Amino acid sequence: MLSDLLAPGAVIPTLKVQSKKQAIQELAEKAAELVGIPEREIFETLLQRERLGSTGVGNGIAIPHGKLAKIDKLFGLFARLERPIDFDALDAEPVDLVFLLLAPEAAGADHLKALARVARVLRDPQTAQKLRATRDPAALHAVLTQAAAAPSNAA
Amino acid sequence: MQSIAIINLVLLAGSALLAIGILSSLVAQRFGAPLLLVFLLIGVFIGEDGPGGVHFNDYRTTYLIGSFALAVILFDGGLRTRLSTFRGVLAPSILLATLGVIITALVVSALVMPLLGMTFSQALLVGAMVAPTDAAAVFFLLRAGGLQLQRHVGSTLEIESGTNDPVAVLLTIVLVEVLLSGARTPVVELIAMMVQHGVLGAIGGAVGGFVIVWVLNRVELPTGLHPIFSIAVAVVTFAATQVLHGSGFLAVYVAGLIVGNRRVRAFASIISFHDAATWLVQILMFIVLGLLVTPSRLVDAIIPGLAVSFFLMFVARPVAVFLCLGPYKFAVNERIFVSWVGLRGAVSIFLAAIPTLAGLPNGEIYFNIAFITVVVSLVVQGWTLTPLARRLGLALPQARRDVSRVEIDLPGQQEHEMVGYHIAEGSAVLEPGASPRWARPVFVVREDRILEPAMAGPLQPGDYGYFLAPPERVRELDRLFTPGERDTGEHSNFPLRAGVQLSVLSDLYGLDVDSELGERTVADHFAEELENEPTPGDRLSLGMATLVVHTVRDGRVAEAELEIGDRAGDSDIKPDSLDLALSALARRFRVLERRIFNRR
Repeated sequence: MLSDLLAPGAVIPTLKVQSKKQAIQELAEKAAELVGIPEREIFETLLQRERLGSTGVGNGIAIPHGKLAKIDKLFGLFARLERPIDFDALDAEPVDLVFLLLAPEAAGADHLKALARVARVLRDPQTAQKLRATRDPAALHAVLTQAAAAPSNAA
Repeated sequence: MQSIAIINLVLLAGSALLAIGILSSLVAQRFGAPLLLVFLLIGVFIGEDGPGGVHFNDYRTTYLIGSFALAVILFDGGLRTRLSTFRGVLAPSILLATLGVIITALVVSALVMPLLGMTFSQALLVGAMVAPTDAAAVFFLLRAGGLQLQRHVGSTLEIESGTNDPVAVLLTIVLVEVLLSGARTPVVELIAMMVQHGVLGAIGGAVGGFVIVWVLNRVELPTGLHPIFSIAVAVVTFAATQVLHGSGFLAVYVAGLIVGNRRVRAFASIISFHDAATWLVQILMFIVLGLLVTPSRLVDAIIPGLAVSFFLMFVARPVAVFLCLGPYKFAVNERIFVSWVGLRGAVSIFLAAIPTLAGLPNGEIYFNIAFITVVVSLVVQGWTLTPLARRLGLALPQARRDVSRVEIDLPGQQEHEMVGYHIAEGSAVLEPGASPRWARPVFVVREDRILEPAMAGPLQPGDYGYFLAPPERVRELDRLFTPGERDTGEHSNFPLRAGVQLSVLSDLYGLDVDSELGERTVADHFAEELENEPTPGDRLSLGMATLVVHTVRDGRVAEAELEIGDRAGDSDIKPDSLDLALSALARRFRVLERRIFNRR
C-alpha cells in the first residue's frame, strides 16, 4: 500500500523522545540522512507546517509533513515512539505512531493524495495495533507496506 | 333547494380535488417534478377542455385571487428572509431585480417583434410579463431539492425574486396603459413613475411592518389571532399602497422583512400559519390560472411560446445576468447558475391576465405565450436545477437534512422561546461541549419520564431535549440536532488554526482555490460563505479537501479542522464531456470577461 513511499530503511522502531519538537528534530535528522538534504531545512519545513495546526490526527497518530524544493519524489519515514508524547492532536491524546511525509515542491495534488493514503493505513485499528506490538524494523515495514487499505466501503 | 345541492356538489368536488392534488404531489415529488406544475395541470384538467369541463373566463376574479395570493407569498418571503443574508449581495440582487428585468424584457422584445409582427410596445409587454423570476418558484425549488447553495448565490437569487415582481408589475401596467391610450409616454416619465411606485412601496411597507410589530407586541390578542391579524394587515398594506399608486408588491415584501427581523410575540405560530397559508394560496392561484387557460386555443401560440421560452432561457436571461453581475464578484459558473434559475411562475401568468382584463385587443395571445413560457421554465429549469448546481460545484458538500423542531412561544416576553428536539443518533449535540451557552436546557424527556437537566446528565440518543433560546438563534441550533450522516469515518482530520490563509493551504496541498479567495483566513471564509453564524461541524469544501468548524468563539470560527477524505483525488468521478465543455466555456468566458471588465 505504502511501498512506493516507504523504503525498507525508513523505519525507526524505537524512538525515545520527550517532546513534539524533539520528535520532529529526530525525524528530520534521520530523513536528512536518507534523502541527503540538510537537516535544518527539513526541520524548518516541518515546524512551519505545525504552525498551521498540529499534524496529530488522533488515536495516537501524527503525520508531520511538508514540501521541499530539493527532493524529486515523495518520501516517507515511520517512527514508533517508546513513550507517547503530547502532540496537540485533535483528540488531545498522546501520540506514539509518527509518519513523516515529504513531498517535492511540484507535487501539487499528489501531496494530498499521499497524505490521504498514509492516514487511511494508520487509522485502521488493526494496523495500529500491529505497529504498536512489534519492535522489529522489517516487521514494521511489512505491516505498513502490505497492510490492506482500511476497508473503505465499510461505512 | 336545488341550488343548495349544487353548492354541496361544488364543495365536494373542490375539496376532493384539493386533497387529491396534495396526495398526487407526493408522487410528483418522487419524480422531482415541480409541485406547482401539478396544480396548474389540475386546473387545466378541471377546465373547459378537460374532463371537468368547467367554463371559467373570469379575468377579474383571477386578478383578485392572484393579487391576494402574491401579497401573501411575498409577505411570507419577507418574513423568512434574514436581513443578514443581504450582506454583500444587496447591490447585485437589486440590480438584477431592476435593470435585469428591463434588459430581459428588451432582449425578449427584440425576438417577439419580428416573430409575432408586434409593435415595440406590444413586444416589450410580452417581455415584461415573462421577465420576472418567480419568488414562490425560486424559494420553493431551491429549498425543496435539499440544495444548500453557497451563500451569496442563494441569497442573490432569493432577494432578486422577491424584489423583481414589483418592477415587472409596474412595467406591465404602464405598458398596458400606454397601449390603451395609444399615446407615447416619454421615457423620463416612465422612469419617474417607476421610482414613485418604488419609493411609495418601500414607505408603505415600512409603515405596515412596524404597525404589525407594534400591535402584536403591545395589544393582548386571543391566542390564534396573531397570525391572522398579521396577514390581514399585510393585505391592507398591499392594497393601501396600491390605492396610493405605490407598489403594493414591494410594500408587503418590505413589511414581511420588518416583521421577520424584529422580535415579535407569537412569531413561531405566525411562521407555521404562513407555511400553510402560503401553500394554500399558491395551490389556489395555480389551479385558477390552470382553469383560465384554454388548452385548445394554446395550440396557435405553441410555436411562438416555445420560441419565447427557449430564447428567454438561453439568451435573454443570461445576457441580463452577465451584464448585471458584471461588476460584482461572481464566478462564471455562478453566473451560469443564476441565469438558469430564472424560474418563471405564477407572477408571469398573473401579469399576462392584465392585458385581457384591461380590454387590450388580442389579450389572449399574451396570456397564452406567458402560460407556455412558465410551464416550460418550470419543467425544464425546475427539473435540472439541482443536478446543475452540483455539476457547477455550487452546492455545499452537505445538504442539511430537515430536523423536526417543536417551537413553543412563551407569552409575556419576547427574549426567549422554548424549542424541543428529538436527539438522533449521530447528532453533533451528543459531543461533549457542543451545546452553546445561549441555549439553556429546561428538561429532558427520556423513556416517558421528564427529567431535570441536572438529573438527566448528558443527552442520549432517543431523548427529547427542550431548550430556552433567543428566537433569532433557533436556526443555529437546528444543525446540532441534525443526524451526522456525513461521518462515514472515511477521512482524517488535521487540527487547523482559524487564522491560516487559504492560499497557504492551496499552495501546500495543491488545492484548487479561487485566487481571489486566497487572502481570506479560514475564519473569514466561514464568515463569508455561511448564511448563519458558524456552528461546530459546519463544512465548506476547499478543492479536494474540506474545512470543518471545530470551535466557535464570539460568532467566529476559533479552531477548525482540515479534513482529507480517503478518496481525495481518487478520480472515481471522471469529468465527462459536459463537465469538460462547461469548464472550457467557463475559461473562455473568464478571458472575455477580463477583456470587457479589465478585472485582475
